[in-house]
Amino acid sequence: MSKAATPPEGNEQEFYAKRAKVYPREVHGLFARLRTAGVLGLLGIFYGAPWLTWGDRQAIWFDLPGRKFHVIGWTFWPQDFFLLALLLIIAALSLFFFTTLAGRLWCGYACPQTVWTEAFLWIERRIEGDRSAQMKLDKAPWGGRKLAIKGTKHAIWLIFALFTGLTFVGYFTPIAELMPRFFTFQTGGWETFWILFYAFATWGNAGFMREQVCIYMCPYARFQSAMFDKDTLIISYDEKRGEPRGSRKRGVDPKEKGLGDCIDCTLCVQVCPTGIDIRDGLQYQCIGCAACVDVCDQVMDKMGYPRGLVRYTTENAMEGKVTKVLRPRVVLYALLLLVLMAGLLYGIMSRNPVGIDVIRDRNVLFRELPDGRVENVYTLKLLNKSDSLREYHVEIRGLEGAELVIDRVMPVPVPAGGVVELPARVRLDPVVLDAPTAELVFIARVAGEPDAGNERAGRFVGRMR
Amino acid sequence: MSDVRDPLYTSLAQRVIAILWPSFLTAGLATVLLFTWIDPAELSLYVPGAEGVTRLGAYSAGFFGLWAITAVSSALTSYFGRPAGR
Ligand code: SF4
Ligand code: SF4
Repeated sequence: MSKAATPPEGNEQEFYAKRAKVYPREVHGLFARLRTAGVLGLLGIFYGAPWLTWGDRQAIWFDLPGRKFHVIGWTFWPQDFFLLALLLIIAALSLFFFTTLAGRLWCGYACPQTVWTEAFLWIERRIEGDRSAQMKLDKAPWGGRKLAIKGTKHAIWLIFALFTGLTFVGYFTPIAELMPRFFTFQTGGWETFWILFYAFATWGNAGFMREQVCIYMCPYARFQSAMFDKDTLIISYDEKRGEPRGSRKRGVDPKEKGLGDCIDCTLCVQVCPTGIDIRDGLQYQCIGCAACVDVCDQVMDKMGYPRGLVRYTTENAMEGKVTKVLRPRVVLYALLLLVLMAGLLYGIMSRNPVGIDVIRDRNVLFRELPDGRVENVYTLKLLNKSDSLREYHVEIRGLEGAELVIDRVMPVPVPAGGVVELPARVRLDPVVLDAPTAELVFIARVAGEPDAGNERAGRFVGRMR
Repeated sequence: MSDVRDPLYTSLAQRVIAILWPSFLTAGLATVLLFTWIDPAELSLYVPGAEGVTRLGAYSAGFFGLWAITAVSSALTSYFGRPAGR
């Protein structure tokens, strides 16, 4: 290999030096308040939503063992998979849409990584103190005090993480039963595993990995710049106004000293959760959290300069041009989003509430009866996706002379959002078949509702080839 | 910052993340697709020895199995992506 492809050792050293632990300084201000509101709101939704009930079940319940997703009044089945796919496409497209308009709004205010990191930072600051106290503590040799402080922090972090893991699993298994079971050590093996797994991931991501998740692990962070254009809202340092930077006493006229408005206090670097310097220009590490905007505005206030040396702006605005909000791609994304959302709504509204699945008995291909006829065995699954009890009649068609035998009284009641499995046998004289196998159709009809029903094809095996 | 190489490849820890993380994501996706298509409870009827398998157990085992496979793929990509002869 040529030398150029293998960087010298010094380079790796540099990367290590660059990846020193970030101690973001606490910041107050308009955007910090907005972010706190976002964090509290989203955490409230996350921890609160599984406790809501709808009828006699959990309102939002992804019942994986039951293969049903309950979302308020709706129940979704594996057959509705395309709706989920559509929902994911809508989510991705919304992200594109908002990114084009407003940059990394998602990253700075709503991403779970940001939300839980903020919560963990808050706890850390209450226990270890502010940025300088944290740095001092980390430099200090290990001793009783350091052990006590770090121990307390991790204990609280872990309890919080464990509660997060419990809540997460509570979306999949009714939370009102899960909590007491967990604290009395009665959760199943896999449940316990996933609670601990999610708790560990929370603790690791929000306590240790932090900005590295954004920089090294997040796919969105890598490709978001492709959605940026010159009219996208970004956070930027006003270089023309700020440079040349330099410290000065309050009240000194910067023009006299030949200085710009930046007093080079480095506060914007200290508050940055990803440890970058916004004055170096737009970088992909910047998650758009606006912490540097808040802190620099405070500095500007103190100095008696106008605010906005670091501010939300667009590239065009920085260059003195007009910012256009309605650009072709924004309109395109918006239209596409509208169409897909309408499609989703239509898909949900026009779902057939009656479902039928046909599963052939795979152990026995067919059986010959004493009377010369051939019998095939199936399991029918009758699905009721509506929110009230329905009674189903089952019939077959498409196979002349076939007899359907079901050892149940018709109609069969199927509970709201439920499945009923029905063993069914179909009998037929094989002489009427002109091929070894034939297709037949199973039909489920709702009693008392002539228009409601669904059908599914099955295969009848008459003889071996 | 002299970006000669992707910073992902500078330390063992980052290398491990670069292997395990994308494979985690793809394994998650594959698990969802696989189990929307196949119901493990039905499968257990036909696979000898799988009678006691619960759906949750099958989902979990399926996920880790798929993760192992995708991780092997990521690891090979990472391995072949390195300059040869070192
Ligand atoms: S906070 Fe403002 S004044 Fe201080 S260094 Fe940053 S840009 Fe300059
Ligand atoms: S540069 Fe400013 S907006 Fe970007 S991540 Fe750092 S503090 Fe947040």
